[in-house]
Amino acid sequence: MALAVKPASALFQKDVRSELRTRYTLNALLMFVVISISVVLFSVAGETLQPEITIGMLWIVMFFSAMSGMSRTFVAEEEKGTTMTLQLLASPSSIYAGKLLFNLLLIVCLNAVIVVLFLLTMEKFAISQPGLFWLVILLGGFGIASATTIIAAIIAKARTKGTLFPVLSFPILLPLIMAGISATKTAVMGTTWEAAIPDLQLLVSYIVVVITTSFLLFDYVWKD
Amino acid sequence: MIKWWKIVLFVWIGVFSALGIMTPIAGGLSDLAIFAEVGDTRLIPVAMKIADHDLTEQEDGTFLVAGEDKYGDDAMFVLPEKPAGFSEAEGYLLDARYDKENHRVVAAEILGDYPGWSFPYIPGLGERAKIIFFHVPMSWMTVIAFLVSMWFGIKYLRKKNLIDDAKSAYAAGLGLLFCILATVTGSVWAQFNWGTFWNWDPRETSIFVLLLIYGAYFTLRSAIEVDEKRARLSAVYSILAFVTVPFFIFIMPRILPGLHPGSADDVNAGPVVSSGGMDAGMRVILYSMLLGCIVLFGWLMSIQMRVFRITQKQEADDIAAAEAIS
Repeated sequence: MALAVKPASALFQKDVRSELRTRYTLNALLMFVVISISVVLFSVAGETLQPEITIGMLWIVMFFSAMSGMSRTFVAEEEKGTTMTLQLLASPSSIYAGKLLFNLLLIVCLNAVIVVLFLLTMEKFAISQPGLFWLVILLGGFGIASATTIIAAIIAKARTKGTLFPVLSFPILLPLIMAGISATKTAVMGTTWEAAIPDLQLLVSYIVVVITTSFLLFDYVWKD
Repeated sequence: MIKWWKIVLFVWIGVFSALGIMTPIAGGLSDLAIFAEVGDTRLIPVAMKIADHDLTEQEDGTFLVAGEDKYGDDAMFVLPEKPAGFSEAEGYLLDARYDKENHRVVAAEILGDYPGWSFPYIPGLGERAKIIFFHVPMSWMTVIAFLVSMWFGIKYLRKKNLIDDAKSAYAAGLGLLFCILATVTGSVWAQFNWGTFWNWDPRETSIFVLLLIYGAYFTLRSAIEVDEKRARLSAVYSILAFVTVPFFIFIMPRILPGLHPGSADDVNAGPVVSSGGMDAGMRVILYSMLLGCIVLFGWLMSIQMRVFRITQKQEADDIAAAEAIS
């Protein structure tokens, strides 16, 4: 159970370095984001959307990009056959912490790209409170990463990895997505940021609860 | 041999279902007044007790009689015809409305004799209020089964005994059954009461999320072949789902406005939780049905566990027989 910082950061650095060398996940994710946003743009075809629908689209793209990218962390270890080595080298908590850090970094970059592309391509999409908007996107990303990291660890042990991931993630992520959409609406259309306080509290407590539970349960998932 | 408690269970659920369905709904003068106040001329069932066995025939062929409603409020009642056996009758169940100008309860039809035992009339629901005896216990069982499933999941993670995993899976299976029943009964009811099969009311969202979680749980189980691994991972998943789901089941339906009782725009926390929100007779039947459902759940679990043990023993015997031959 012991959480050691050194192996966790080593694992994080190893993941970042190997990702930067191969750029497999990054390229795939970037292409996924470009494709899904262009599908949105084709369907919109120059019409001005209501902000509610644009926010819905934004969260759909964010959710499914995360679904296509987040599962790689553990599946890759399983495919390369490095799981056993990791089990020997570090405690489960350190492994989880390292993977969680990597997923957090990945999803923050991913969400930043998605939102910037959305802002560039949807000209009429005006945000009344940019600070709150970016905070919600950041917290939403953290929430998605915290819940999907342990689910990625679960599905790495199962047979049908790709399709199983969104199926298992969606019900767990629903409270987060609903609170996130509601807070984003406040940020885009609202006049005061106080209206988003309950949603922000919910986002933060969701992240805390899920990460704590994951730390407690990761032992059982990780050890064969 | 049939055990006695199984017969008791059948009788228990049968009697309380029958009581729930057959008991007439009867309102009083206050219910009539609510509709008369806004000029609504709809007919509602009203229980009338005859105060004075003296019928006065009026010009239009109707009969006037003094009586009181089930709560003891006095009024003059207008009956459409002279009922047979009037002198001996205690009272009647009428389909009536309130005539504000003449201060009379005008009955369009005599539905039956005075009901000694009846449920109150709930504006906007009427007979449809009776769904509470079936739909609410089913919805509760959905959550209770989920809790039981997670409980045995935790027990498996602690003791590593595959029987606990089987119990966890069977509890989830029964939970899925109750979940589907609750969704279907609620949806059909919503079509008749709220006009659409599905409204995305917070409670409808919560049962939908439970359906998704049960679905995901069984998808996960079917994707793993090794027994121990399947038991471990599905237990972890059910715990993970259980820490995020209370938000949907217990919190969201109460903080958001919705169609179900107990929503944020409702007068109280709903008929089940708040005191005095529900008629005593209805409350007794609801809790009896819930108790019946819990015992039924336990019985179904024990049947499935027996099948599980017999199958395991059969497999062990087969292996032993195969080894004996070789």
